[in-house]
Amino acid sequence: MKPTLESLRPCLDGAVPSVVATCAADGTPNVAYASQVHYVDGEHVALSYQFFSKTRENVLAHPYAMVQVVEPGSFRHYRLKVRYLRTETSGPLFEYMKAQLAGIAAQTGMDKVFVLRGADLYRVHDIEAVDPHLPPAPPPPDALLRLRRTLDHLGASDDLAGLADRALTALTPAFGIRHALLTMLDETGSALYTLASIGYAASGVGAEVALGEGIIGVAARERIPVRINYRTGDYAYQAAMRSADRAASVIPLPLLAEAHSQIAIPLVYGGRLLGVLYAESEQDAFFSHSDEDALVVYGRHLAALITQSACEPDEPEPASTQTAPLPAGGEPLVVRYFASDHSVFIDNDYLIRGVAGSILWTLLNEYAQSGRRDFCNRELRRDSRLPLPDFGDNLETRLILLQRRLAERCPDIALEKTGRGRFRLVPGRQLKLLAG
Amino acid sequence: MPVPLSPEQAAFLQGPVSINVAATGSDGWPVVCRAQGCSVARDRRSVTLLLSARQASAVLAALEASGAIAAVFSRPASHATLQIKARGTSRVPLTAAHRACHAQYSSRLGDELGSLGYGSDLVHGLKLMLSSSDLLALRLSPEVIFDQTPGPDAGRVLARA
Repeated sequence: MKPTLESLRPCLDGAVPSVVATCAADGTPNVAYASQVHYVDGEHVALSYQFFSKTRENVLAHPYAMVQVVEPGSFRHYRLKVRYLRTETSGPLFEYMKAQLAGIAAQTGMDKVFVLRGADLYRVHDIEAVDPHLPPAPPPPDALLRLRRTLDHLGASDDLAGLADRALTALTPAFGIRHALLTMLDETGSALYTLASIGYAASGVGAEVALGEGIIGVAARERIPVRINYRTGDYAYQAAMRSADRAASVIPLPLLAEAHSQIAIPLVYGGRLLGVLYAESEQDAFFSHSDEDALVVYGRHLAALITQSACEPDEPEPASTQTAPLPAGGEPLVVRYFASDHSVFIDNDYLIRGVAGSILWTLLNEYAQSGRRDFCNRELRRDSRLPLPDFGDNLETRLILLQRRLAERCPDIALEKTGRGRFRLVPGRQLKLLAG
Repeated sequence: MPVPLSPEQAAFLQGPVSINVAATGSDGWPVVCRAQGCSVARDRRSVTLLLSARQASAVLAALEASGAIAAVFSRPASHATLQIKARGTSRVPLTAAHRACHAQYSSRLGDELGSLGYGSDLVHGLKLMLSSSDLLALRLSPEVIFDQTPGPDAGRVLARA
């Protein structure tokens, strides 16, 4: 029986370099190493095009080639009879290969000179197993079983804050993932912010990633999973590049100094991108093709749960809301707000910006004027002072973000959840509110 | 007119390098196979590649048809890579020296990959794959030598007849 291209996916992870044979118009053969042979679908592979090589010159003139790939756990060889179709220079396939190439290039010490110019698409006409009698590689962990166990750990959707944390901790028992981030798309659609993390000294909650930057930004912009199996020194493919503005420079992403494997999974529900799940490891080739499949399914499930959680109705308003006077005495906490980006600084230290910053400023002003401490999501959604998008889940995730940033950076102001869609502001010190 | 290999190139070809050989089939489709060792003649003007008759059957058939051959040699530890090409090849009788070269080759390449962190499963598989009993020897005289080390200079001609 002929092997299928799907069954050869472990051969296409770059662990053992693949070889590509071509021939010139006059029949002269050429044999070279391919930096990357990428699985596209059951009938197609793509080869990376970095330099105008003899391989490329040959296939443009005479589109027939043979690719030899090696199974890493067994050294079994397979030969793919392929025919060159076209070159893609943009789009998801190109972006995925560009990200992966950064990892491969770093592995071969070529990260400064390897730049993807195109993804050369080939149709696979035949596959031959060179040594079918050689023992196969030990079977990899069952990704479907891992997924099932992870979903068991994730459990049912209750509140979004709990879901955000469990979304990451649930990955540890089955997948062995110990370093991960949950990032959400912000209201502008041009950046993602970190809502939860596991496995880092600093949580990084509030850290931002621009759309299209790094592996997280590429996964978000292209809405594709991106998996890099080797340490990449390429700055652009570290999980994110920090933008030059003051907020991003204040909260760094809490990443491993030397991630050898990285994966970014878009969270998409109903055609809408909610965020990106990112995981990394200090081990080479930590995430398999099958893990990627399983995590893509996990990402879709997670996106559905997040959406569902945001649609739960708020609890009814209580008959009265609590008020309390400002705590007396002591040095007041100076809260400064900049309307241009809705950023909030506490005693000159950056806290938060955007929707979350705007919410905090609104709440603190309301409290300063009326002493009111109890609030509900519904009134915030109606509040014309807040730059809220149409989607309800964004408010909820912003409140979680705000609550976590306050807990980490400003324990003198707390936000306590008092019910679904209801929360209480708990200031511990006098406040001095300054705009601008 | 063959071009002689430099002493360094000759040593490189006979070191712990992956060797892959290509030819053009009669249907115009290129074919490729892994070689199981290489020995360079004393005058460094010819190279003998050791192949498994079964693994190389398509390459051998293609060589019958067109004769032209390309072979690429790459050292896993450094990624240093050379490609040689010739317009023709000839089968030569397998000698005891070839068998010794073959035995030493799979052992050295396996050790090299093992030292680079490739797992024992891969090294075991490599030794199984490169221990063919249907060995044959193919001689060629390089006419062009290319630097094929990954990077912008890959494909640069180092020597041409």
